[in-house]
Amino acid sequence: MRKDQDISVQTDDSLNYYGPIPGEGIAERELKKAPTPRAGKARQTYLEAKSSASVEFPYWYTRRWEELEGEVPVIRRAEALKTAFSHLTPGIMPGELLAMRKAGYLRGSFPLPWLSEAFFLSKEDDLYKEAQKAGKASADEVTTMGQGGGNVTKSIGNVISIAGKFGLRKEEMPILIKTAKRWFNKSVDDVGHKYEQLIPGYQTKEEIMRAVICMFDSGYTLPQGREVINYYYPLQFGIEGIKNICRENQDKSAGQPPMDRLYFYRAVIIMLEGLQKWIMNYAVEARFMASLEENETQKSEYLEIAERLDWLAVNRPRSFHDALQLTWIFHVAVLNEDAISGLSPGRLGQVLYPYWKEDIDKGVLSKERTIELLECMRVKFTEIDCFASMGVVGGVLSGNTFNNLCIGGLDKDGNSAANELEELILESAMSCDTPQPTLSLLFDEKLPEEFLLKGVECTKIGTGYPAWISNRVAMEFLLNNYGKEGMQTEEARAWAIGGCLETSPGSWMPLDLNGKRHYIPGGSAPATSVGVHFISLPKVLEAVLFNGIDKRTGRRVYPAHDSPLESYEEIWTAFKQYFSLTVEVLTLANNIQHDIWGKVTPSIVNSMLKPDCLDSGMDISHKGSRYNRTFNVEICGGVNLVNSLASVKKNVFDEKKISLKELRAAVEANFGYLSALETGSYSLTEQVKTGTFKDWMKIHKLCLDAPKYGNDDPYADNIFRDWQIWFSKMCENYRSLYDEPLYSCQISVSTHAPMGAVTLATPDGRLCGTTFADGSVSAYPGSDKNGPYALFNSATCYNHASSQNSQLNMKIHPSVVKGREGSRKFLEMIKAYLRRGGFHAQFNIVDSRMLKDAQKNPEKYRGLMVRVAGFTQYWVELGKQIQDEVIARTEYEQFG
Amino acid sequence: MNEIKHYDCKYYLNIDVFKGICKRDKVSINADDPACESFKYAQKCKHCSNFSATADNLGTCMNSYEAYPEMNAVTCDDFKQ
Repeated sequence: MRKDQDISVQTDDSLNYYGPIPGEGIAERELKKAPTPRAGKARQTYLEAKSSASVEFPYWYTRRWEELEGEVPVIRRAEALKTAFSHLTPGIMPGELLAMRKAGYLRGSFPLPWLSEAFFLSKEDDLYKEAQKAGKASADEVTTMGQGGGNVTKSIGNVISIAGKFGLRKEEMPILIKTAKRWFNKSVDDVGHKYEQLIPGYQTKEEIMRAVICMFDSGYTLPQGREVINYYYPLQFGIEGIKNICRENQDKSAGQPPMDRLYFYRAVIIMLEGLQKWIMNYAVEARFMASLEENETQKSEYLEIAERLDWLAVNRPRSFHDALQLTWIFHVAVLNEDAISGLSPGRLGQVLYPYWKEDIDKGVLSKERTIELLECMRVKFTEIDCFASMGVVGGVLSGNTFNNLCIGGLDKDGNSAANELEELILESAMSCDTPQPTLSLLFDEKLPEEFLLKGVECTKIGTGYPAWISNRVAMEFLLNNYGKEGMQTEEARAWAIGGCLETSPGSWMPLDLNGKRHYIPGGSAPATSVGVHFISLPKVLEAVLFNGIDKRTGRRVYPAHDSPLESYEEIWTAFKQYFSLTVEVLTLANNIQHDIWGKVTPSIVNSMLKPDCLDSGMDISHKGSRYNRTFNVEICGGVNLVNSLASVKKNVFDEKKISLKELRAAVEANFGYLSALETGSYSLTEQVKTGTFKDWMKIHKLCLDAPKYGNDDPYADNIFRDWQIWFSKMCENYRSLYDEPLYSCQISVSTHAPMGAVTLATPDGRLCGTTFADGSVSAYPGSDKNGPYALFNSATCYNHASSQNSQLNMKIHPSVVKGREGSRKFLEMIKAYLRRGGFHAQFNIVDSRMLKDAQKNPEKYRGLMVRVAGFTQYWVELGKQIQDEVIARTEYEQFG
Repeated sequence: MNEIKHYDCKYYLNIDVFKGICKRDKVSINADDPACESFKYAQKCKHCSNFSATADNLGTCMNSYEAYPEMNAVTCDDFKQ
């Protein structure tokens, strides 16, 4: 765009609108606690391990699948899963207390070609070239992957890098290509693509994907996740007990309509046989390890693992340790069923509390041992990787998999649900600070103050967790959303966060333990965030300003609106038209993709766990779950949209300081700066001016000085509120695959980076290629000038319960929260926001200068974690786009 | 034993695609480094009599289904030394 222009660099700081660059001297966070030696060693091994993929699981899955051509699809799927689980190579690390993992490596994962087979093929392969022609490859092209930590960013020796993250042994590549080719025209991606082309407006859908107005298709990328797992059935019945339930129902349903029930029960039995073999293979390996061991303590630990696994392959857990191991087994089992991000353990501390309390009361478990087990659990969760394309794993997930553990909230009867085990979960999350599982504290006025202060203590040390979430707002959303499916207040209390920030329905399930009945919470819906994923609002506005054209590629995305755009209302109307068209075509396409997913690769493991699939005999794609209104519309860049609309309204129409034509020209010229893609820097403080900078300076200043969201300024906030109200309402006009209305979801995860990368400068003064504002109610970096309470007023100018979530990220200098007094002030600030109706707030307690130093010297910061969106991630595993954005966030140095 | 790698040894425990630890000696080792004197063949397809090589890193299992020589067969009921 500006290749023909003079690009001489201007260094005059007086022309820098983004504030001063941070100086020297890094303020440290408050001191962290140390993990137990066992967990510390495991974490160190993790930090030195690379993401590694293998072909074992897909090989056996595909082999068995092909052997059963002509079989009922769900049975074929169950047999394929059984064979794959049965053949996974077990590996047990010395010192492990919780055994089993996804695949043969510590950070192991594997391709799932039955979902999508093309993206991991080598570039020379014809299938890959075919994939490149489709619009969906565009998100990969604009994503940057973290260059450090465990990412295998380049092929080295006998290891091939895939998607800039996963290493695959060279010896396995030929069979991977062969296996992938067997799914050509059979995968969910390919079959779905065949049928999605039949929807009206398909060409527009493809252009939307190519322009990266939408980040990715939903049905074959991450078809499950963003939900809360339910561990109830294995805990209550044990694996053999579940098989017995299925056998009884199989007998009752054979020959009785609807016939799908018979096949489902049969499929669950087959799948569980596979899981039993998988578990017992680990028991055999534990005994083998014991046979080689001379250290008596380690030998007995291996033998204990073997005994425990043999027991759990059949029976109910007998102890806290058993129960923790069994929940982990089923967590991994679900993760291996599909490409999944955001499978949350939910309120695990409340699920396991009956076992823990009983062991503590009996004197067979100590708090110290509990901490050690919980720390080991943290390392296990952190090891979870999800194999996906670069656009998904880098551009959306930032390498994370969002296993969110919730604490607090209310119990079945409406009292505080916080318990002592949850305090130990917080303690272990401080002593063994790892990205996963991330924690969310479900804030309610009934929670004890000491519990809340413990949460603050954890947030303060810089873990980024717990995120602080309003129980009241979530329950209001849930009752509105699931009331028609029968949800009552009591059951609304069983909710938890699925994934980053997806409010997910739950149920209370009756767990019987030694003559006592306990009601434990667990998820009771399938993925609560599938459907239309990540619409770039600033990019839609760009299309409005340029009559439907994507200025980056020059391609027509939308039909020309041909409106003269002579008033703000005309711009707003055109925006709503384009946005509505986007939701319409993407809903239709995604409904087809998800339908194909349910037909080709129906969920069996997760379906078995979710109430009420075992009762109804229907899997989750047949609405077997208790709650099924689970498709949503996710957006990105909302605050940049609002700030841009405010700028257009103020400068062009209200005060008429510039014409729309002049504004368009300035946007196309990037206000006289190089684009972020040209400079390779996404930091707002470090953009490079061209020789034409002064030609655009006046317009740029007007844009930057226009009212901005986050300052308690009604001018911008009214636009924000209008958008929010319209957005949440319009989603209900569209029907999901399950014939339920869609709902709005407002998290950007990491998409604000790649979506910003393909978007021109925006009328709010943001420059081309730079990252959008993060979250949904976070202010654009540097634009919130009136302090946190003004930001809270802006953020709560609409009802957050009208949407599945909202997201507020804040960065606070460590000096502000120092000591007990700092903790109390911090907690009061959090409470103030949540009491005003905020749904969520999360914090980076860090000095920006530390982050800048970490960018320059990553080798010194392997363990440094930051909060990105609804997740915490190691700094060195983040892409540069997100690193720059986190650095640029406004840093609060006082609360007042 | 120079041509034989840790990666092919029964006592090799994967950590990642580059490295692992020795189950016997508990030391960190690189997958592609030469094996030691305690080496024992890992249960892999390439060491199975049901496996027939057809090309580089490819073969068949029981003369029917495609297979690959480096695959672990420790969990395979049909493995024959």
